[in-house]
Amino acid sequence: MDKIARIDMGAAGGPKVTMEEVGEYVGLGGRALTSLLIAKEVHPLCHALGAENKLVFAPGMLSGTAGAMTGRLSVGCKSPLTGTIKESNAGGQAAQVLARLGYAAIILEGKPASDDLYKIHVNKDGIQISVDNSLKLLDNYPLVDKLRKEYGDKVAYITIGTAGERKLLAASIACTDPELRPTRHCGRGGVGAVMGAKGVKAIILDDAGMKMRPPKEPEKYRDANRKFVEGLRKHPVTGEGLPAYGTNVLTNVLNEAGGYPTYNFKTGQFATSAKLSGEAQAELEIKRGGTATHGCHRGCVIQCSGIYNDKDGHYLTKQPEYETVWSHGGHCGIDDLDTVARLDFMDDNIGVDTIEMGVTIGVAMDAGIIEFGDKEGAIRLMEEVGKGTPLGRVLGCGAAVTGKVYGVERVPVVKDQALPAYDPRAIQGIGVTYATTTMGADHTAGYAIATNILKVGGDVDPLKTEGQVELSRNLQIATAAIDSTGMCLFIAFAIMDQPETFQALLDMLGAFYGITMTGDDVVALGKKVLSAERDFNARAGFTKQHDRLPRFFYTEPIAPHNQTFMMKDEELDEVFNW
Amino acid sequence: MKLEIRLFAGLRCGNPELPCYGQSECDLEVPEGTTIRELRTILAIDPAISLLSMVNNHHEHEEWVLKDNDRVGMFPPIGGG
Ligand code: SF4
Repeated sequence: MDKIARIDMGAAGGPKVTMEEVGEYVGLGGRALTSLLIAKEVHPLCHALGAENKLVFAPGMLSGTAGAMTGRLSVGCKSPLTGTIKESNAGGQAAQVLARLGYAAIILEGKPASDDLYKIHVNKDGIQISVDNSLKLLDNYPLVDKLRKEYGDKVAYITIGTAGERKLLAASIACTDPELRPTRHCGRGGVGAVMGAKGVKAIILDDAGMKMRPPKEPEKYRDANRKFVEGLRKHPVTGEGLPAYGTNVLTNVLNEAGGYPTYNFKTGQFATSAKLSGEAQAELEIKRGGTATHGCHRGCVIQCSGIYNDKDGHYLTKQPEYETVWSHGGHCGIDDLDTVARLDFMDDNIGVDTIEMGVTIGVAMDAGIIEFGDKEGAIRLMEEVGKGTPLGRVLGCGAAVTGKVYGVERVPVVKDQALPAYDPRAIQGIGVTYATTTMGADHTAGYAIATNILKVGGDVDPLKTEGQVELSRNLQIATAAIDSTGMCLFIAFAIMDQPETFQALLDMLGAFYGITMTGDDVVALGKKVLSAERDFNARAGFTKQHDRLPRFFYTEPIAPHNQTFMMKDEELDEVFNW
Repeated sequence: MKLEIRLFAGLRCGNPELPCYGQSECDLEVPEGTTIRELRTILAIDPAISLLSMVNNHHEHEEWVLKDNDRVGMFPPIGGG
């Protein structure tokens, strides 16, 4: 990863590629690289869909190596959804291939003058960009099918569906999994709309003739990786729970804890949530000849994903994640896994964020467009998004826009990004993260659920305010660092509980780059990333008043705990005071 | 006293003497003053598993004394996100 490719999509005479050394970004990857670069190079007041915005694709610091779990791809830009800086990451094969091709980053800049649609082919010989208007208005699955006829199966595809082309604010960027299904999405923040604005429909990554990235100290690296994998296999969450049931194992525990937002955040429990549970989902997947254990990229040893077949045993979609099952399920009063799976497929195909879309449909239900629990109605609304009708465009621009258009008061967003699957009134810690993260409401930015509910990495009472600021701060710092390594965030369950597994991760980083890496270095990296992001947001006009939850969380108590969000504004303002 | 018991993520009652043997959902009569630790022994759940227990929507520790009509949810270590 010794080079950066800048592609000026607006250059006179057509897109122009410039290669440069990594320079000041040497040794960085993932979120650290995307955020530092965007904070430095993008005007914070630019229009996110304009020529001044940049879209950065960066593999993690350890991507493309033989290290386990290293396949996360970070995509960074100014978000058209939130107006803040954005880093959205996904698994799939793309990060490994891009890293092996030697790129620390590919940056899309400028804006084409015409309506032409481009594809970008990257291989060992360089980068070729061509117009291909035959790809126009193809959704992700048919798009990848068409591209496979031309580029084959030994490549990784990064694509946008029709939502990205239409520049909808919920549009995602899809990365193909090992079986070349466009199922792994940089979902949050409308990054797909930015790719659409750059006129790029697909990036094809071919690493034929390239090798794994070699560590500076190969033996040490191999040894540390072995210990790291042992630690992941040994920990009950990463070694048993996630492989067996996937992320949706959380449905029952969140419902049991009274923190499962239901009917657009009106109550904290869903009477029939068991029908949506990870246990029920895994059983169904296995019964129908799919699988409940699948890796989204080669080198994943946790394998939290799966394959969901329809009742005739045909592939329907990848295993819907907990957040998806919640957003399209309990949040909308729907308790049918097949409906959720169909909606998950539609999200992936059209290319939209499953959290944003599910939450939006719940807001539309609150607006009376359809009834809560209306399964066919939810599918119809998604079809509108896919067709790009006026209603579909409103919905495809997310919960905040839909709430405004239909005059809904209860709109669960922070910085216009939809809240994920955990009610901040029943789990105060996650509310601190939602309110303060640089990304708009995002659970992954500081996953307080681990310590509030799952009792991983300690025990902080979810119903009390004590300890939540410190917890969210520490998690946000650690997450910013992990998001930079290329590691899947789910390693956190093991490294929070097992110091030797955390040490193995430090040793992997140290051995790869030939340096000594300590816990303090990780903290310093996390803080550096967050500081750059906060600085960008401040220059984009965000103040501490934006680091708040919508008022209804402070005024409407939620059952069964009958609590509101109790964190004081002054406490929230302390999160980044380190 | 009677408890409403829900076992999740693969946990099952392992006590062949109980009517809910092999099941994950049951209403069970237990002696007054039973603690969470004693309940897991009654249900013969593998002592090697570190349990997360929710009583009426609150996380409680192993020495917690249960009451009549409590709903008890038990989970092995799980995660996601
Ligand atoms: S644990 Fe899940 S999300 Fe993480 S890399 Fe593996 S399959 Fe992908």
